[in-house]
Amino acid sequence: MISIAIVSQKGGVGKTTLSVNLAHAFARAGLNTLLVDADPQGSVGLSLTRQSRLLSGFYDFLADPSIPMERLIVPTRLETFSLVAAGTASDYDAGNGTTGAHLARVRTFLFNASTRRYDICLIDTAAGLFGVTNDIISSADAIIIPQQAEPLGIRSLPKLLEGLNRLRITNPRLNVLGVCLTMLQQNLIESAEAASALRHLLPEEMLFQTSIHRDEIFIRASAKGLPVGVLENGKNAETAFDSLRAEILSKLAKSRVTATYQPH
Amino acid sequence: MDPVNPWLDPAAVRHLAEQLLRPVAPAHPSTADPGFDDSFIGFISAEVATPAPEPPVSAPFSATLPTLSVPPPPQAIQPTISAPSRTKFLQRFYTFRDWLAKNHQATDIFLLDREGKVIFDESDHGRFHFMAKNLACSTRAVGNVHIKIGPSAILELIPCETSYGYIVLGAMVADALPAAQIDTITKFLIQTASLT
Repeated sequence: MISIAIVSQKGGVGKTTLSVNLAHAFARAGLNTLLVDADPQGSVGLSLTRQSRLLSGFYDFLADPSIPMERLIVPTRLETFSLVAAGTASDYDAGNGTTGAHLARVRTFLFNASTRRYDICLIDTAAGLFGVTNDIISSADAIIIPQQAEPLGIRSLPKLLEGLNRLRITNPRLNVLGVCLTMLQQNLIESAEAASALRHLLPEEMLFQTSIHRDEIFIRASAKGLPVGVLENGKNAETAFDSLRAEILSKLAKSRVTATYQPH
Repeated sequence: MDPVNPWLDPAAVRHLAEQLLRPVAPAHPSTADPGFDDSFIGFISAEVATPAPEPPVSAPFSATLPTLSVPPPPQAIQPTISAPSRTKFLQRFYTFRDWLAKNHQATDIFLLDREGKVIFDESDHGRFHFMAKNLACSTRAVGNVHIKIGPSAILELIPCETSYGYIVLGAMVADALPAAQIDTITKFLIQTASLT
């Protein structure tokens, strides 16, 4: 199982939208996919399951690692797509923002997930580099960085890169798959310029070719608790996530990322 | 107008990004540890609490420690090390450092203040400092922390309340140090920091 954390310094950059729809793209391609909501706001759960606030989830496991995985995993209508909600303990004190407090339990969670024959585990994290998010980055095989195509968001990039460089000390195997531009608005000059600036700023291999455009269909999909591809007129958006999935798989193969968590 | 570049240093950002794309060299790529295979990427464990004792009046561990005269403890707790005393402190710390290296085979020794600022560093692993301070602070009530960072490399972090304030000692050792040795090191560090 390859674990990929979706991380960003800034909130509201489309992390949950990216996580939900990318997980759906992996699952549609036949890969057994587990989407984990590690954002205490429980956005994935709210997007996909009506009763997510009642489900035991990731933060319940951090509070009590004796909870069996079967109680955490929620199947969906797509056989290859399951999710773990943030849980009822999602307002549980996440280590006072300190790094390392939940490292062992996060790793246990990922190991337990790996024993369930998942190919991919996508983890939607809380914004910022602190607490549980840091422990997830210190445990995952790889990360993807959604970056909103607007100037203010891009200005937060140095802080994120600095933080990630520090975290690679505790996780030297961490593979940075790249930055994915989100909420791109080509018809808005500031957004297009910010995207262009980012392309000049970062090494080519650091930036995904696929960008996610701002589209009201994401709001409609979220309102219905569905991945965007399930909606009528959602094909274009779905194609973008398929393209991103292909890029990710290619990068994983190229960089020979191997799973840290393997069932014995 | 460029909406991004005037707000940040493009060369610095590119450098950070390129650094992320490069593989991280292990701190001590030495002998293989039979207890861990290639998939092992480290763990953290906390030791039993190491209470911060009063500065020792006599040195019960004088058989193994260099002899140092112990004046009365300072009246006022200083939050940080002031410039003149810092030099004296560092001179004494070199003695401590030599003792630590010799008796515990410690290398890459560093010392941070409560804010994570470097007091002493021979480690060449500046990137450890942020993690060291955070880990030491998060386990302050528990005691020392050790982190496996390579096949035969443990980063030992010993937070310590001294007359100079809270400091964090970091050192690389081959195996995690037992609680008794941590206690001895802590006492000697407090003693080193207590002398004026």
